[in-house]
Amino acid sequence: MARERVSQADEWQAWAQRYDIEGGIRTFESGLTVKVFVGALFVGLLMMPGSIYLSYVSGESGAGAAPWVAVILFTELARRSFTTARRQELYMLLGLTGAAVGSGLQYRNFIWYAYFVNTPQAASYEIADKIPDWIVPAGDSVGVLTRTLIHPDWFLPIGIYLIGKLLGTLRFVSGQYILFRLTADLERLPYPMAPISAQGATALAETTGKEETWRWRVFSIGSMAGLIWGFLYIGVPSLTGVMMSQPIQILKIPWIDFTQSIEGFAPTGVFAFRTDFGQMLFGFVLPFPVVMTEFITAMATQFILNPQILYRYEILHQWTPGLDVRGVGLFNGLDFWISYGMGKNFSLAIVGMAASIPMVIKLRKTQKAAGERGSFATPPNRGDFPIWLMGLMWLVGMGGFIWLIHWMVPNFPLSFLLGYAFLYTPINSYVTARTFGVLGRDLFEIPYLHEITFILSRYEEIDIWFAPLPDEDYGRGTQSWRVLELTGTTFTSNLAGTLLIMPILLVSGIVVLHFIWKIAPIPSAQYPFAQMMWPINATNECLWKTSLRDGNSQMLQAIRGDYVSAGLTSSLAIYGMLWVFKLPSMWFYGIIGGIGADPGGMVARLLGAIIGRFYMIKRFGMRRWYMFNPVLAAGFACGVGLIGMGTVAIALVSKAVIVKPF
Amino acid sequence: MEKVASFIIILGTFLWLFSVLALEGRWQWQMFSALVLIVGIFWAHFWEELRDTDDTEESGEE
Repeated sequence: MARERVSQADEWQAWAQRYDIEGGIRTFESGLTVKVFVGALFVGLLMMPGSIYLSYVSGESGAGAAPWVAVILFTELARRSFTTARRQELYMLLGLTGAAVGSGLQYRNFIWYAYFVNTPQAASYEIADKIPDWIVPAGDSVGVLTRTLIHPDWFLPIGIYLIGKLLGTLRFVSGQYILFRLTADLERLPYPMAPISAQGATALAETTGKEETWRWRVFSIGSMAGLIWGFLYIGVPSLTGVMMSQPIQILKIPWIDFTQSIEGFAPTGVFAFRTDFGQMLFGFVLPFPVVMTEFITAMATQFILNPQILYRYEILHQWTPGLDVRGVGLFNGLDFWISYGMGKNFSLAIVGMAASIPMVIKLRKTQKAAGERGSFATPPNRGDFPIWLMGLMWLVGMGGFIWLIHWMVPNFPLSFLLGYAFLYTPINSYVTARTFGVLGRDLFEIPYLHEITFILSRYEEIDIWFAPLPDEDYGRGTQSWRVLELTGTTFTSNLAGTLLIMPILLVSGIVVLHFIWKIAPIPSAQYPFAQMMWPINATNECLWKTSLRDGNSQMLQAIRGDYVSAGLTSSLAIYGMLWVFKLPSMWFYGIIGGIGADPGGMVARLLGAIIGRFYMIKRFGMRRWYMFNPVLAAGFACGVGLIGMGTVAIALVSKAVIVKPF
Repeated sequence: MEKVASFIIILGTFLWLFSVLALEGRWQWQMFSALVLIVGIFWAHFWEELRDTDDTEESGEE
């Protein structure tokens, strides 16, 4: 059996071509018009409360749907008004609506820390009183106890967030732009995944003709499915939660736990069947080999590796019968899987470097041999910015950010901050930009960088765990500039749109989150996902944040060199053997994702992948199926989102009404 | 070159299995196996990416 060897870059580029569109275009127009701006605000702000509410109820915000809802509405309005929607307008609409719908969730950390500061976990690990006031007010403050964000207690955390946001915008816009000019203009890297993002807007713009298209049909099928599913999964528990003290759940949110049922034959194994069938849509689009290998490996972990090897040899020693998925997960993690996971993460970094370094060298050689090299000259009318201006913006943004962090944690060594900002960030961003340019994904990431830094700095205060560090990566964002180029959208119009909408979103996001917090405490029975997950998340956060304290923390004791080495070496061996036998590298990412994971969380995704691969592709053909996918997903998420909005509206009204006893 | 890379990777894998089964999974031996595997994987990728350009320079290599 002579299998042909395919390099990792070729393998991923071949996958990307499934979504590809024909070439790029080189005429540029502004995408920012009044109707785009108003449309984005209308749909985004209409769906934002629903998306915040859904994220606490089910763990999925459905925010990804809003941009597509806006685009579908926009194109249909255009068609019925006998005008056409340009692809530049549609791409801008996608971006602005995405920003609008996500504007509430950007503040979700405030709600999380308002809960965390008063948890028994934070108290027992002795960090509740050490959480800095620029993250959250004190646990007994009025702003926290009365669940109100619009209160003087919150001014400092919100103010710090807003300054950080402004400085972040300066850094990220300029950093991404400079790297885009380097990698796309000067080095002519292909950015194979960029056409996928460009495809939606480009394809939909072509449908603003007169005749009815397949898109409406596919979108409607998705919406109806989403409405039915959303009503059963989100609507019933939310509406009954308004009327009763304990909501009725037709399907338990977020999972049905079979861990205790399997403990007879698979002690230390977990299986919590995740009930969110919206995950099926991810299965439709994810590479089939990744989904399949991930599931098989997770099954093997929970039914063979954990009970038959690790438990038998007393590596997993804290387990006792009767624990649920959260308890088993926590003990298994402390006994073995946290250490193993660390080694696994280091292997991903090494594999990434091994793949990206020769790629960089090869590209340089090819360019040199062919004698062709791009130039810094920009295409006409693309709306470019002077490089010096962008450089200056980055310096101001980064300088201000370092000053801010230094103000937050004055005793943390400044040299580490400067090293991160001016050495690590540029190198890391450049390497990532190149791997995105060649492969469409990030390969270069050093795991546990913060933890390593904290150990090296010998800084022992807990506040550093809450402060941001200037270890940034602008490489990922370079792809969005390439998408702008492919859709023919001027850079200036995109930047203007982003800056114009930002102040509106900063204010509206906080107001909406304030009202949602007022409905009921988060977590509570009204928000089943948060109620289930947040206590365990609080324990994990405490374990991490105290991991370096006194050199004797629970987390530090859980990290064992032989298990970390096992994670690193076994993952490298798996990758190496796949290479030796010329098997797809995608299998590696599936296997690594599946080791130690709960297979119950993958069932819906696997179902989607199987239906897509063995029925849908055969029924519709690969090209048509991949065209249907984003529209179907948008329709489904739109249906679920509508249910979310409906229930949040009813919940808000019911809380605003005071029932009098006569 | 491909065979050399394959050999190093297989050697690293066997070393690791040996260290786990016979040497009680001591981290020093596991890390040594990891080092061998890293060399093999880097070798494999350098060969894979640069083979076309190398072929012209190192004729008869493969």
